[in-house]
Amino acid sequence: MPPKLDVKQGTLILMVLRTLDVLGPLHGYGIARRIEETSKSRLVVNYGTLYPALVKLEQEGAIKGEWRPSENNRRAKFYALTAAGRRLLARETQEWNQTADLIAAFLAPRREA
Amino acid sequence: MRILRAWAARLAGVFTKDDDVAEVREDMLAHLEMQVAEFVRRGMDPDSARRAALVASGGLTQAAEAVRDQRGIPWLEHIGADFLYAIRTLRRAPAFVVVVVATLAMGIGASMAIFSAVRGVLLKPLPHREGDRLVYLRQSAEGLGGGHIGFSVPEVRDLRSGTRSLGQLAELSNWTVTLRSAEGAERVDVALVTGNWFEVMGLEPILGRITGPEDDGPSAPVVVLTYDGWVRRFGRDSSVVGRQITIDGKSATVIGVLQPAPFYPGRAEALLNMVASTHHFSATMVEGRTHRMTEVVARLAEGASIESARSEVMAVHARERREHPEAYPAAGRYRMSVVPLKLAMAERARLLLWLLTGAATFVLAIAVANVANLTLMRSVRRTHELAVRASLGAGGGRLRRLLVAENLLLALGGAMLGSVVAVSGTRLLSAITARYTPRASEVHLDASALAFALALAFGVAIVLSLIANLPQEGLLASWVLSGGHRVSLGRGRHRTQRALVVVQVAVSVVLLTGAGLLTRTMKRLSDVSTGLRTEEVLSMKVQLLSQTELLSGPAADARAKVLYEQMRTEAARLPGVTAVGLGSPGPLRASSARFDVRVEGVAIDAGVSLPQADYRTASPQFFMAAGIPLEHGRAFATTDDGAPPPVVIINRALADQLFAGRDPLGQRIAWTGEVLKFTPISREWRTVVGVVGNTQDGGLESPARGVVYQPFGQMTALDVSLVVRADSNVAALAPAVTCIVRRVAPAAPIEDVQTIAQIRDQSVAPRRLNAVLISSFGVLAMLIAAVGIVGVLAFSVGTRTNEIGIRMSLGAAPFRVERMILQEGGVLVLLGLTIGVSVAYATGGLIRGLLFGVAPHDPATFVAVTLGMAIVGLVSCWIPAVRAARIDPSITVRSS
Repeated sequence: MPPKLDVKQGTLILMVLRTLDVLGPLHGYGIARRIEETSKSRLVVNYGTLYPALVKLEQEGAIKGEWRPSENNRRAKFYALTAAGRRLLARETQEWNQTADLIAAFLAPRREA
Repeated sequence: MRILRAWAARLAGVFTKDDDVAEVREDMLAHLEMQVAEFVRRGMDPDSARRAALVASGGLTQAAEAVRDQRGIPWLEHIGADFLYAIRTLRRAPAFVVVVVATLAMGIGASMAIFSAVRGVLLKPLPHREGDRLVYLRQSAEGLGGGHIGFSVPEVRDLRSGTRSLGQLAELSNWTVTLRSAEGAERVDVALVTGNWFEVMGLEPILGRITGPEDDGPSAPVVVLTYDGWVRRFGRDSSVVGRQITIDGKSATVIGVLQPAPFYPGRAEALLNMVASTHHFSATMVEGRTHRMTEVVARLAEGASIESARSEVMAVHARERREHPEAYPAAGRYRMSVVPLKLAMAERARLLLWLLTGAATFVLAIAVANVANLTLMRSVRRTHELAVRASLGAGGGRLRRLLVAENLLLALGGAMLGSVVAVSGTRLLSAITARYTPRASEVHLDASALAFALALAFGVAIVLSLIANLPQEGLLASWVLSGGHRVSLGRGRHRTQRALVVVQVAVSVVLLTGAGLLTRTMKRLSDVSTGLRTEEVLSMKVQLLSQTELLSGPAADARAKVLYEQMRTEAARLPGVTAVGLGSPGPLRASSARFDVRVEGVAIDAGVSLPQADYRTASPQFFMAAGIPLEHGRAFATTDDGAPPPVVIINRALADQLFAGRDPLGQRIAWTGEVLKFTPISREWRTVVGVVGNTQDGGLESPARGVVYQPFGQMTALDVSLVVRADSNVAALAPAVTCIVRRVAPAAPIEDVQTIAQIRDQSVAPRRLNAVLISSFGVLAMLIAAVGIVGVLAFSVGTRTNEIGIRMSLGAAPFRVERMILQEGGVLVLLGLTIGVSVAYATGGLIRGLLFGVAPHDPATFVAVTLGMAIVGLVSCWIPAVRAARIDPSITVRSS
């Protein structure tokens, strides 16, 4: 099993937004599960990082939470992407791709002269 | 936008946090349950599933804390926590809080009120457009009208043509008119102004229009109300513009209302164009170089300085004196000066205001010193608590923050309570300064006063925090370990504490000395005899003729006299009345007419100034009614009214001046001088038939002046007062007499209805106010200082309990201990006394202008203050000393 990584705050936001974009409204547990699945369990999302991020996104108006009954009939807060959230996701995705390209370019194997 | 929104949410989170965090907690619990369910599904038993889920969560409480930080603003909350904590600790020391807040409230409140007054009267720019460019011109001469004598129209013409630095000169004459209304008639102070006055002063109307140069020519009389006049006479009625009002029996149109602005010189409820007074177009006014009844204000020309204006005015004046020596007799020492208008307006209030500023600063200083002492002692008593806190992990920074929070709370509390003090203080100051400056209406508590109080509060908090005795970090553990319960101050803090006491005593001495001098002034003043035999005299001014009518016709004057006589005889019939007289002006009122006097047979030397005397008139019963003692000769008789020879009665001061040692009766004197030609007074010789006592007509503090009384019936009836004397309670007669006057002359305004006691009190009242103000500051300072001494010594005794116990168990007698503590305090008091007396001695001269009959270095005051303060100081030392002597050595020694 590869070593587990803690999620970095900046990337976590992107992951949360993307998850909600793909799967639609989801509760915190679902978001955590999905991130861990997508990372093939290489990432660990604990409450101490996830919930402040959710609170922050909600404060910024990117997502909106709503209390609804969950699968096992408990009340859970389902988070949905707002229009502002969609715009944020687009912007963050673009920025991330650019950064990734840039870093990739820097880290590219040295060519023989 | 996003960031803004997030911060708004966080800020909201500071206040609503607990609900929100609870919600997130519930969210996380739901999460946990789902995790547990998942593990159970995968085959774990419920207990291990829960444990595993909890481990996976990474700690709910930590997560909640992380959310809490995200939701709110952590540092803000820390400050909040500091303050909450400070409130809690302060609540445990209510006596300390009450003393500190009350002390600071006095200091800050007094400072705030005086700040408002100083700002409103001395510092704030005038509301006039570019008010700093306005100047007021003054011409003064010895012995005439208290220095300033005004300008004549020819002089204004010279100034206008001879100065370039003064862009425009505007003229103004203070004038009094009778305003007739439905309710009756009233005397109203107005000013006649040239058309350019408003332009020069830079004032705008808030209603209607103001006058311009076109109103100077032969046009209809128009009236611009000052803001105050509009409020007082017309109750802010905006329909007043266009209204016809009757002024001195003539119709005039109200054309506008002026913006609120202090008026100077004099008082005015309305401004009239010059045509409102025919006198102002008479040859006397226009051509008479010595007919000085015009005030001049000017606006400095662009780029011109007040210095250049001054030198130009000097040059004009020098030329005038050269060309018209007869108008400027050498003995008069004529001078012209140029003063910034703002300065001129505040001139008479300045000394009092700076004095009060000094007093308030002193009180604030000793209040802060006292609070500093209290805080210092408290911080030592809290050493234990603070040490425990520090050992439990509160960093030095956190501890200091706590102290700052406490001090801030105390100071802000003081400022808040102080604002309440300042509200009434400011109102009082506004009323007081109204006697001295037209800018008193600008004295009110405003945002800047509040800002000032806040700044003071922060300053105080900083001082208190710097002075506090924080335990040093390294020493704490050992201190706690040693089980220490002895508290003490470092050597430096001790010195600070002592210095504070010395300062308190010194400042109290300075304040008390000022208070003593002012109180003695007041006392001296109220001991001055008015010169009247009784105070059961009522006088009221009844003006039947306007100033203009008086200057015109003898027929109107004769008619008026018949009415006056009718009032007199009717009033004399009232029960309880012993005598009623007529005179102008009334007793103890200053006469505005003062002329040169010559004695028959005494040659006039050129260049030597002649004696001057006030011109007054009196009916045969006047002296009897006013209670003025007749020293020689006789009073006027009814026969003096018509036929020659003309007779006069003079007062003691003039008799001594003119006829030193000789019998004045039967001698003849005459009025003389340039100014007479503008008056209806003739230069004929008049026989002295009587001498009466001196009266304090110019106020209690001015020396008695020479007076010539002429028979009321022979002279024009200007400024006439009805003087009523009764056996007792003369004040109760006022309504009845007023009633008679109204019946005889319904249109005549009645002014200055006052008894002699009231007039006298008017002279003393401002001095009493000075004395009371400064005395209350002084007593306050002394009390604070006394509390300070007791506190510091008691504390010193407290920290030395062990030492004293040991001394006593080794055989020191209680009186020795007592003496030791007395000595400790006595040195401080003595030092404070020495410094205070020297400072008071050095600065006493500053208040010379407010004193009367007392030298600024009055030994009696200094001795009394020094003794008083020494006694208070010693008593303050005694209390802790006696307590020290009662220390039981067995207890203290055992406990250590």
